[in-house]
Amino acid sequence: MLGKSPLKMAVGATAIALFVAGCSGGGSDEPEATSNTVIIGIGEPQHLLPSNTTESSGAQVLAALYYPLVNFDAQNNPFLVAAESIESPDNKVWTVKLKPGFTFHNGEPVTADSYINAWNHGAYGPNGNGGAYFFERIEGYADLQSTDPDEDGPQEAPEPKAKTLSGLKKVDDTTFTVTLSAPFSGWESVMGYTTFYPLPNAAFSSPGVLAEGFEEAPIGNGPFKMKGKWEHDSQIVVEKFAEFKGDPVKVDGITYKIYQDQKAEYADLVAGNVDVQTQIPIESLGTAPADLGDRFKKSPSSSFAFVGFPTFQPEFSKVEVRKAISMATNRQEMTDQIFLGSQTPATSFVSPVVAGYRDNSCGEACTFNAAAAKDMYTKAGGPAEIKITYNADGGHKAWVDAMCNQLIANLGIKCTGVGEPKFADLLTKVEKKEPVGLIRLGWIMDYPLMENYLGPLYGTNGSSNYYGYSNKEFDKLVAEGSAAGTPEEAIQKWQQAEDILAAEMPVIPLRHGQNVFGHSQKVTNVVVDAQARVDIFKIEVAS
Amino acid sequence: MFRYFVRRLLQMVLTFFGATFIVYALMFANQDDPLQALAGERPLPENQRQALTELYHLNEPFIVQYGYYMQGLLTGDFGRSLTGRQIGDMMADAWPVTIKLALMAIVIGATFAVTTGVISGIRRGGPFDTSTLVFTLVLLALPIVVLAPLAQLIFGIKFQWFPATAGRDATFFQLLLPAIVLGSLVVATELRVTRASVAENLRSDYVRTARAKGLSRRRVIGVHVLRNSLIPVVTLIGVDLGGLMSGAIVTEGVFNIPGVGFNLFRGIRTEDGPLVVGFVSILTIVFLVSNLIVDLLYAALDPRIRYE
Amino acid sequence: MSDPSVITSSEAPNTDVPTDPGGPLKTDKPRSLAGDAWRDLRRNWIFWAASVLVLIILLMAIWPTLFTSADPRSCALSRQYDGPSGSAYFGYNFQGCDTFARTIHGARASIQIAVVATLLSGLIALVIGMSSGYFGRWVDAILSRFIDVVLGIPFLLAAIVLAKRLSADPQNNGVWAVTVTLGVLGWTTAARIMRSSVISAKNQDYVAAARMLGAGPGRLMLRHILPNSAAPFVVVLTILLGINIASEATLSFLGVGLKGNAISWGISIAEASPYVRTAAAPLVWPSVFLAVTVLAFIMLGDAIRDAFDPKLR
Repeated sequence: MLGKSPLKMAVGATAIALFVAGCSGGGSDEPEATSNTVIIGIGEPQHLLPSNTTESSGAQVLAALYYPLVNFDAQNNPFLVAAESIESPDNKVWTVKLKPGFTFHNGEPVTADSYINAWNHGAYGPNGNGGAYFFERIEGYADLQSTDPDEDGPQEAPEPKAKTLSGLKKVDDTTFTVTLSAPFSGWESVMGYTTFYPLPNAAFSSPGVLAEGFEEAPIGNGPFKMKGKWEHDSQIVVEKFAEFKGDPVKVDGITYKIYQDQKAEYADLVAGNVDVQTQIPIESLGTAPADLGDRFKKSPSSSFAFVGFPTFQPEFSKVEVRKAISMATNRQEMTDQIFLGSQTPATSFVSPVVAGYRDNSCGEACTFNAAAAKDMYTKAGGPAEIKITYNADGGHKAWVDAMCNQLIANLGIKCTGVGEPKFADLLTKVEKKEPVGLIRLGWIMDYPLMENYLGPLYGTNGSSNYYGYSNKEFDKLVAEGSAAGTPEEAIQKWQQAEDILAAEMPVIPLRHGQNVFGHSQKVTNVVVDAQARVDIFKIEVAS
Repeated sequence: MFRYFVRRLLQMVLTFFGATFIVYALMFANQDDPLQALAGERPLPENQRQALTELYHLNEPFIVQYGYYMQGLLTGDFGRSLTGRQIGDMMADAWPVTIKLALMAIVIGATFAVTTGVISGIRRGGPFDTSTLVFTLVLLALPIVVLAPLAQLIFGIKFQWFPATAGRDATFFQLLLPAIVLGSLVVATELRVTRASVAENLRSDYVRTARAKGLSRRRVIGVHVLRNSLIPVVTLIGVDLGGLMSGAIVTEGVFNIPGVGFNLFRGIRTEDGPLVVGFVSILTIVFLVSNLIVDLLYAALDPRIRYE
Repeated sequence: MSDPSVITSSEAPNTDVPTDPGGPLKTDKPRSLAGDAWRDLRRNWIFWAASVLVLIILLMAIWPTLFTSADPRSCALSRQYDGPSGSAYFGYNFQGCDTFARTIHGARASIQIAVVATLLSGLIALVIGMSSGYFGRWVDAILSRFIDVVLGIPFLLAAIVLAKRLSADPQNNGVWAVTVTLGVLGWTTAARIMRSSVISAKNQDYVAAARMLGAGPGRLMLRHILPNSAAPFVVVLTILLGINIASEATLSFLGVGLKGNAISWGISIAEASPYVRTAAAPLVWPSVFLAVTVLAFIMLGDAIRDAFDPKLR
């Protein structure tokens, strides 16, 4: 059948295998070293449709393809970009006037309809867009949703009452109005988010229906346009859009190289195969300063890590117990030794990147004091054994174990970290009201306002308030702040609301995140914003 | 022989459906809330939950879901991943690079293992044998999560002998370092098994006879010993080939190769049933075919084995 | 390990050959294979060395406090990566725990999982591999295709589903769940190997001879085929032992393995792996213990197999 000698057979098999392997090898397309283009590392985006993009990799690519109505300065205050003016007399009806002369990459002019159509598509419930909740504040949003009559049962949800938001009105080709269901002073900031980009008519196969394959090569109004298609799990290449009328960019093109693993990206960064890595993995932080020198940098990010106390567990109902656990936690030691300085200790309930942030608004309760903590804990009769539940797929084991060790040493109690496979498993247990103990949570902001932390995390109906905290006074202050006439008044109300949190400690603030990024020698002026995106207008190739 | 072959092909069809059914059932059993898994830690908006639930029939009972899936599969449609991509496209992206990598790894790993295994089997107890034992122990005790980044650091970054990462359209040379790392996974077992087989066959009657007949040592080992020792080794190689395709999660991650192992891992993590079953269906065929080839090789290696 | 002695020991049975044929003739009852094996083993120093090692490891697993009085769960970040000292021989790890104490205390879970899961896998593989190889035809068709199906199922998926179900009770520490999971999933390779060895052994002359003498299938399989086909099978199992120790850590890190503050070599290795460039000791020590354990079982397996191998007689 085959050659007589096993050796010959082995040689034959080797040859065949190597031939197959070698033959199908694609040609390598090394970018020329002299070109004015840069390579930025990202993860595989979930989507490249503005209204369906809620994670940073997709947002990073869309930031190059689209031009937002407003952008944010270093203090995270909004300034006008694609909009000529955004005005509202009462914080309820907002008039947006667009700068004239802008076109999409396919030549279509950007008009008021581009925004209205995109937003209507984004908000329409059955389209299933992940960013639809951003449109919640616009009048008529509820009419675009429908509820399934029997939850997960076989019946299908009826079609929603309306297909378009009643709060969106076109005035003329470059002007439209947005009517909110309730006054909101921060609306201008909200409109800076990815979800609010416009879409060309080419995006739709018929009104309200997205064209098949649009996401594979999105057409935008931004400084860069797609070069080819989205090569899934491999790369996305964009090149300068010559007719772009906005702020000039300094590079001719960007290749977004997709990595599954940040450690692989870091290896490429050190080897010079990728120019910017926005998040250096914690395993590599020990050697990063030596590997990268002054190209290893940090900038504030909006991420906020904390642990929550489930209100259904009575052993945590006393505020002294919650405060004592917080005081027994040495945040500085945790950020220094577990996170190697890549995060900073949190002593407030909102991130430092938002206006209105006050350092140590939590006060004494977030200051490490082992002796006082133990005293307070014993007097309040805190539980002798606690658990901290986390999701095992997020790299949380190290710090949860460290926190437990601190509590064991400082409070003299038993403490175990319990890993659930996924965050969804953790949520299931919380919903069933199982005794999970402290739950690990985190938050990244959607728009730079204090309200974006206070509302979702601590509001009675907050979308990420998994622990069930509820305080009417707090809800009232947050709502008053949202409706306030000026940003200053709003911040004042929100700060009062934060003071309630400091008094009641529904959660223990632990750490604020930072963008710990690095870049190659090829590029300069690398700025990473609070949402972990590289500023594509500033980055340039070093001469 | 021909009838045996046809019978095996028929069995394959049954096995294929059995395997996809079991994996689909396992995915279903593992499924708590795939949509939340997709959203990660962000709260899942109600509108998205509803839309996706209906699109993917997630509210239907298991057997109905499987029915939908099979209906598509029989018309050549692998369905859509929960991320919205066509699974057929994802497989066309992932399989070629994985097949290349796994073939290279198995060739490198098996060649090394069999060669050193034969030598240490012949010189059993000698210094060479002892050093291969130490080497196997090191490979066993050193987890791949250490080995792969270390190899990358030393050969890819410090010495720059190899590219640090490979990517999807990797060339033969770019895949060499990952293939060596991946190949090391199979070395320990294959080496020890080769050694044990060779050592045992060296003592068998027919070798003694061959020696007595005055055959050269080369011929005794090359033809008589090796041939008979290869049966367990090719069995291992057959199993390892499929194992390297599905199990290269760490290696693929470290060298940034978006292949099958990575896709399986992603699918399992996000409870993406159709995605996992799609990849497993091809993987099952790989196992079925490679085990068939191995079984046919038995007859070639040992004339006493007959398939009727 | 010095080479000359190894050679002597492996050749030792050969030097006995001349005396052997005379032996059985003079004794009254026929000598059994096991009896012969035991006589060989008693004179094999490798067997004794391996046995002593295994005993020490088992002692460590059963009675860790005999080796260390330090508490492996007493950790403080202030001691992170502190070097070796009189009380902590291997220094401290990333979390500031005593590496020596953790390695000693980690033996119990690791050894239990590795040994029991390997035995379980071995048993399943033995039954399935032997029957499919020996009976052939439809038995082989069914069993072999069953092996193919199990091979096709991703280990990770099956392990997650199985371990999650088995360890649903929050009170248990998950050791048995992991043991059963690994045991039930790890047998495929060994079964394929067993099958291949049986297929090639059953065609040998001595099997035909025994069959003609009227031996039944059970006797044929256990007394004639098994001793002649066990070599690669035993090797695969000893290696599987090492792989199981590492696989446990994978499951634990996915949140379906050992629970809470469990300690095992696998977990220690996995925890120390990312930081190996900063501090190698917390990775090296549990790895060394793992390697020595596998070595002990490889030596033991080799010695026992040699003793039972009829070709050496």
